[in-house]
Amino acid sequence: MWKKIYAWLDERLGLQEMYTSILDRPEPKGNWWNTLGSASLFLFLLQGATGIFLTVYYTPSPDHAYDSIQYIMESVAFGWLIRGIHHWGATLMVLVVFIHMLRVYITASYKYPRELTWLIGVGLLITTLGMGFTGYLLPWNQRAFWATTVGTQIAGSVPFIGNFILKALRGGPDLSALTLQRFFSAHIWMLPAILAALIGVHLYLIIKHGESHFPTEED
Amino acid sequence: MNQDIKQKIHERYQRELQRGERFWPDSIFKDLVMATAIFLLLILLATFVGVPAEPKADPSDTSYVPRPEWYFLFLFKFLAIYGQIPVIGKIEWLATVIVPTIAIGLLVLLPFIDKSPHRYYGKRVFAIGVMAIVVVSMVTLTLMADVPTTGEGIYIPGILQTIGGLVVPAVAYIILILMNFVFKKTSAGAMIWTSGITIVLMIGLTAATLALAPQVEKTETEVALTLEDQILAGQDLYSIHCVECHGDDGSVTVIEGVAGLEGKAVMPISGKDVLYTLNDASLAEVISYGRPDAGMNPFGKAYNPEGLTKGEIDYIVTFMRYSWDDRFEKPQMKPVFPPLAEGEVPSYEVHIAPIVKRYCISCHRPGKENNNYPMTTYEEIVYSGDHAGKNVVAGSMESYLLQVIQGTPIIENGEEVIGVMPPKSTLKPDVIDAFVRWVMAGMPNTAADAAAVK
Amino acid sequence: MSGSRHMSRRDFVKLSTAILGSFIGAVIGIPAIGYLIAPALREDKAGKPVVIGNLKDIPIGKPFPFSFTVTKVNGWERTASSFGGFVIRKSEAKEDILVLSSRCTHLSCRVNWEENRQVFVCPCHDANFSLEGKVLNGPPPAPLGKFEYQVQDDGTLVIIPLEVLQEA
Repeated sequence: MWKKIYAWLDERLGLQEMYTSILDRPEPKGNWWNTLGSASLFLFLLQGATGIFLTVYYTPSPDHAYDSIQYIMESVAFGWLIRGIHHWGATLMVLVVFIHMLRVYITASYKYPRELTWLIGVGLLITTLGMGFTGYLLPWNQRAFWATTVGTQIAGSVPFIGNFILKALRGGPDLSALTLQRFFSAHIWMLPAILAALIGVHLYLIIKHGESHFPTEED
Repeated sequence: MNQDIKQKIHERYQRELQRGERFWPDSIFKDLVMATAIFLLLILLATFVGVPAEPKADPSDTSYVPRPEWYFLFLFKFLAIYGQIPVIGKIEWLATVIVPTIAIGLLVLLPFIDKSPHRYYGKRVFAIGVMAIVVVSMVTLTLMADVPTTGEGIYIPGILQTIGGLVVPAVAYIILILMNFVFKKTSAGAMIWTSGITIVLMIGLTAATLALAPQVEKTETEVALTLEDQILAGQDLYSIHCVECHGDDGSVTVIEGVAGLEGKAVMPISGKDVLYTLNDASLAEVISYGRPDAGMNPFGKAYNPEGLTKGEIDYIVTFMRYSWDDRFEKPQMKPVFPPLAEGEVPSYEVHIAPIVKRYCISCHRPGKENNNYPMTTYEEIVYSGDHAGKNVVAGSMESYLLQVIQGTPIIENGEEVIGVMPPKSTLKPDVIDAFVRWVMAGMPNTAADAAAVK
Repeated sequence: MSGSRHMSRRDFVKLSTAILGSFIGAVIGIPAIGYLIAPALREDKAGKPVVIGNLKDIPIGKPFPFSFTVTKVNGWERTASSFGGFVIRKSEAKEDILVLSSRCTHLSCRVNWEENRQVFVCPCHDANFSLEGKVLNGPPPAPLGKFEYQVQDDGTLVIIPLEVLQEA
């Protein structure tokens, strides 16, 4: 019975091909440093899941953002856990992505034929930092508010177009409800969409070229 | 890169694959173990460290010292140190725009800059040396983030920071670049030594900076999380800032005994006319802006630099709602001070301080007319005031404080020098009892002192 | 031999993969369910008794209007909504009391008592209700709602602020 269903699905989806091309691949002898990329992916998925749960109660408005998070922390069952994981997950994700990048740099895995994988990786690092920056404002507490004020001011110090960038980031000259709303939008829609797309290409390239081996004196 | 080298790289990779493993299940298993470890770490962090509570954003509170997320701290510190450099330090965009752009540009272009096919560490001393210094800079700058960049006079930590965080790595980059691109024959050993010494220097200077740094006292802002704590925080703030004019139950209609506002009519703020018609936001606005035409000062930071933050005003509003608005049910509250058992001796720390905070501090603090008798600390209560020495006398019911709270004004030379306290209400019997027991037992300060009295 | 060992290692890895995967899924999934349904598990605070007044102040034979406010705290939002109704005493007896809601069962407009015609009139679509709350004419599908009430020993009338709709 199950075999029949599997056979039917396999005929249409090509499960066996997928298995051989994605999972049953030969690889160079592995190393624990090689798990950091998949750990980043895991953290991305975990951040996605907990982030989606947080939006169930979170309200991106200056009047209620703080209260809604207070509510999540104090009154919702396991709210402290979901927010705690999301909060620390962000920290850990930046750390893991960064160490992953260092590992690639030190083993020179960015060299032929994996140049493009590296390029996409740099995009992933920057987008991850963007997620951290936009997410930091959302709790709308003192720390968030003033850190973002300074952060956007730094972006505003660009010569000639600084003021324009500042206003584009903040949605106006001041840090306001508009800033919160656009940071929220960036944090839950735009940047995750970019991240997901880049991750897709990154993974395709890894499968295409295989994971790099650890260099020896030969290399 | 020519075809031969490409061919060689592919052949080499095929050989590695021959000696390798399968993605499933070998790699996936390792990945999963790693993921589980990270997940457990997150659960532990969420459970035992949690997310630190912070007060609500208050755009009017410009005294707040901004601090970015920890992974941007190194940039933050870099900008601060950079700003100390004469002349170019003033050109902000060099550091905020050019340096990050170069850094990101180098990262992006890395595979096209570093075109040699060699991957072995020994053949990449320059690349690894530079990256090591970059990473150590990021770590040391992060560690030094809390140390102030400037100080009075010859401020040694500031000088050390600038040297360790900026000068040493900059010099090292230049030396390494010269070694690698100009004097092409430099040995790997020289580069390793240069990087190594740089890193040791940076770590040493950071350690010295941290050791010499002035201890910055961390001001912990208390954040009331539960409704009960918010009401209590609001009540304490109300006792300090509002009781004088509005009375402890908010029912005052004519202000008495307040200089400048004597005899002014006020709306009773605990009535339905106020509570039913103003929502929380409007109440907060009234407290923040005050009613200057009617004599009420602004209490919010937005209009009064010494004033209350948004969060504090919110606590007062919550206190008013839950105490006086009959539509809201007040949660079960803890008593002001732990009830005293038969024969128990109260201490300042546990019993008297919260009582004083609730009932006395609104007038008995600096800047108020109170016979120079502030009551904000133990020392002040026992030793200060125009009547110092008579206010509280260990073991004496004649103590002025005990007399006035029990309804006996103090008469000296036929003149009333201290009226009954509090002026417009009477303390509850258990509060008076606590004061009496405390003075009779010799005003113990800490709980341990009180226990020793027995 | 090596082949069978290889297989068993594969099976071991498969098993541990499944265990670790379901562990992570469960630790995040089960709290997530609690998190999502938490508001549904909260105890309903509605139904706290509301004092209307003393019986001796309420006339007999004539609907006595009253109103009360109920505040709801939903998360970080506090709302106060006002409700109204009429107490109708038919005789001195404590049991002979009817407490009607003033909310029209058609579109929730507030009905008023019209003394001359001895009917409740809904201002929205001119529907009429009798003194007992029955629909006399107009679009309302059901009679006016009732409140449950209690008379305390000192004659204080207390209602439970949950409207009970009568059978049509």
